[in-house]
Amino acid sequence: MSDTQVASVGRTRKDPDLVAPKRSLKSVASYTFLHFGMVWVLVLVIIGAQVVYPGFLYIGNLSQILSQNAPLGIIAVGMTMVMIAGGFDLSVGAIYAATAVLFADMANKFPLGIAVIIALVLGVAMGLVNGLLVTKLKVNAFVATLGTASVFGGGAYIYSQSTPIVVTTENFQDLGLGLTFGLPNATWLFVLIFIVGAFVLSRTVYGKSLYAIGGNAEAARLAGIRVDRLKTITYVVVGLCSGIGGLIIASRVGVGQADLGASIALDAIAVVVIGGTSLFGGEGAMWRTGIGLLIIACITNVSDSIGLDTNSQSVIKGAIIVGAVALDAYTRRRNG
Amino acid sequence: MSTTIGVATPAGAGTTGDAIIVSGVVKTYGGVQALKGVDLSIPAGTVEALVGANGAGKSTLIGILTGRVAATEGTVTINGIEPTPGEPRSARAAGLQAIYQELTIVPGLSAEDNVFLGMIPSVAGVAKRRVIRTEYLALCKRLRVTIPARTLAGKLSIADQQILEIMRALVAKASIILLDEPTAALSASERDSLLALVVDLRLQGVTMIFVSHNLEEVLEVADHITVLRDGLVSREGPVSEWDRNLIVSEMLGSSGGLVAAELAGDSDRDADATPLVITDRPAAPAAGTALPLAATGISLPGLIYDIDISVKPGEIVGLGGLVGSGRTTLMRCLAGLESRSTGTISIGGAKTSWPRTPRAALDAGIALIPEDRKNQGLVLGMTAMENISMSRYGAVATGGVLSKSRMRSRTAEIVDEFGFDAKRLGAKAGNLSGGNQQKLLLARWRFQTPKLLLADEPTRGVDVGAKEEILRALRRFADDGVGVIIASSELEEVSAVADRVLVLRDGRLVDEFTRQGEPVHVQTILNAAFGESHHTKENSGV
Repeated sequence: MSDTQVASVGRTRKDPDLVAPKRSLKSVASYTFLHFGMVWVLVLVIIGAQVVYPGFLYIGNLSQILSQNAPLGIIAVGMTMVMIAGGFDLSVGAIYAATAVLFADMANKFPLGIAVIIALVLGVAMGLVNGLLVTKLKVNAFVATLGTASVFGGGAYIYSQSTPIVVTTENFQDLGLGLTFGLPNATWLFVLIFIVGAFVLSRTVYGKSLYAIGGNAEAARLAGIRVDRLKTITYVVVGLCSGIGGLIIASRVGVGQADLGASIALDAIAVVVIGGTSLFGGEGAMWRTGIGLLIIACITNVSDSIGLDTNSQSVIKGAIIVGAVALDAYTRRRNG
Repeated sequence: MSTTIGVATPAGAGTTGDAIIVSGVVKTYGGVQALKGVDLSIPAGTVEALVGANGAGKSTLIGILTGRVAATEGTVTINGIEPTPGEPRSARAAGLQAIYQELTIVPGLSAEDNVFLGMIPSVAGVAKRRVIRTEYLALCKRLRVTIPARTLAGKLSIADQQILEIMRALVAKASIILLDEPTAALSASERDSLLALVVDLRLQGVTMIFVSHNLEEVLEVADHITVLRDGLVSREGPVSEWDRNLIVSEMLGSSGGLVAAELAGDSDRDADATPLVITDRPAAPAAGTALPLAATGISLPGLIYDIDISVKPGEIVGLGGLVGSGRTTLMRCLAGLESRSTGTISIGGAKTSWPRTPRAALDAGIALIPEDRKNQGLVLGMTAMENISMSRYGAVATGGVLSKSRMRSRTAEIVDEFGFDAKRLGAKAGNLSGGNQQKLLLARWRFQTPKLLLADEPTRGVDVGAKEEILRALRRFADDGVGVIIASSELEEVSAVADRVLVLRDGRLVDEFTRQGEPVHVQTILNAAFGESHHTKENSGV
């Protein structure tokens, strides 16, 4: 019986032991509150958004929310995998900016396809450097990626000589601004990557192994899981995701700029954590990151729409992040 | 009491009456009653032993006493005060201090700083170092120990760390100390001194609650014994009314009658008798089968010196030796956890390179059930079946995509053998009892069978029933042709299960006893481990 129940909530990958046969209404309520608390927060945010800004729920606006936040969302997908495996990456913003710069420059020199490949190889290579620093040289992930963020970011400034690289190539802006079947290409790309990420994390051997590594790396190692290798791959994945994010942003604005990624690393971590994925690894899910992204994206959208200045936005966003995570911690403590 | 200097006169010392009164305590977890109405009173200045099989409600009761868990019904009174349920601070303030198996020592602080952690005598925020030192030395004297005050606690033995915790409890003016499995990680001599310390403290008026799976200890040290079973007090009484058989049968109840009889051994109770015999015949190696393990010259600088070890098919080799003799380290070398170790090794007749990573060891066919199952064995936040199949997720996946139903059915086939309820496969490993957790690790290596299975302290912290199931499971592994090496500080178990016992001392192999007809005696192993008769092998069977 529990098997069918598990299947029906498959995407949430929640434990069948919690789907016990005997459960009172109260425990059902606390179960949903515990595991889906952030969903209720999102519902509140959406209701609030619609009240403050009646145009919020128009399809056009919703579609814009997703396409605007596609780079952030894609990076958050990779960040989720890193964090579930017990890692951390502060350099995603620098990788994002560096690939955007390189992509723009290459697009001026080579065919677009080649420019894409070169830029993505750079993202992967930067991720690999992070992964090797963390797993082989055993540098603390926080410190390692703080350092590489500075190196990669500085490199992007040097390469671009601190000036925006304007791209004139035809079709360069297709990725960032084009539509397919009526939806922005960036939205499609985000949705695709999100679904693949969710599938990998919840259904594959690799995903399950990441949970084991984040939950108890030593136990995973003793059980024969190749901890270092799989962890390195998560950094490569987030590097690739950051690179894709860089392509989208360069393509959208038609310019490669080294000062793009200033806040995106912390935003990506915020998105993952707001969803309820643990900062300490081993717990979390991709759908949670989706919820976290929507919460942040909705708040940003409404603030922009009603013309709130960026300083006030920053205050509101920060307060909501802290409040949401505190609520999450509270419900977990109460129910766990 | 009069010997203390300024610190830690137990608040309830010398007073008569009950230090702890538990009345009608019920605890319900989501519809399941862990405690069904427990009454208990502990007179001040006595040692109360709390005994029960896993799942009897012992942990829950401890949690309620220490204030970590709030009772659903009923009350707890400590030294006449009723602490706020669910608030450990409140229970501590009332005078109860608990010392758990997982010690709360800060490794980077000195011994004396650990003792005064959070209670540093100070003037305007400046620590009074002289006072700390004087009081620390007074405590050492009181407990008749000598632990250098400035040594970093992390460098002390577990036994000394435990004593620091006891000192800390005394500094906090605890009149009641709860010791949860205090001897589980201690060597025989350390255990004896801890038990002596318990007796000493009792004479000084400290009330103690002693929780242990080791029944000999309980009988030795307690004034009064309470046995819990199925959430109720099954029987309680002064120690004079008890013997080992009675405790075991009360723990297991009627359902466990058969096991109880077997575990209790002969009715004329003899503490030195081997109550449990798992291996009851000499190993009969199948002719022509390759040795699961043949290793020579195993060395690890400073820890292991040139050890040769082999395991025959169907054989269980026991490692005897005191704590620190190198039992665990030897297993870690074989399991690829000591990258600086050297040696030559053949697994199942095939010579392979010396394993330097766990993965290399596993590829060669060597699996380890580690000593510390919570920190090294299991991912506590994952389900039982996820933990079992962790040794090879690929076996329940197609093209890298996991099948949850296959995971469930494959693991369900396996766990039955180990006496693990397949209905609990979806439960988080962290919510299972110690015995069940250990069964998951055994099942993991049935899921992906190795050629050589190393079991380090496989029965630590599990109750008698589960203990036997675990040892029998190891026997079955051996009978199926897997080479098995077991290390345990409970030599009775080594004796009960091993075909051959290798004794280590200071990282060297000092003796070897082969079972012939009857088990290798515990005393034989101990003598060799202490080095008292290491040239005599007269006792290796008949």
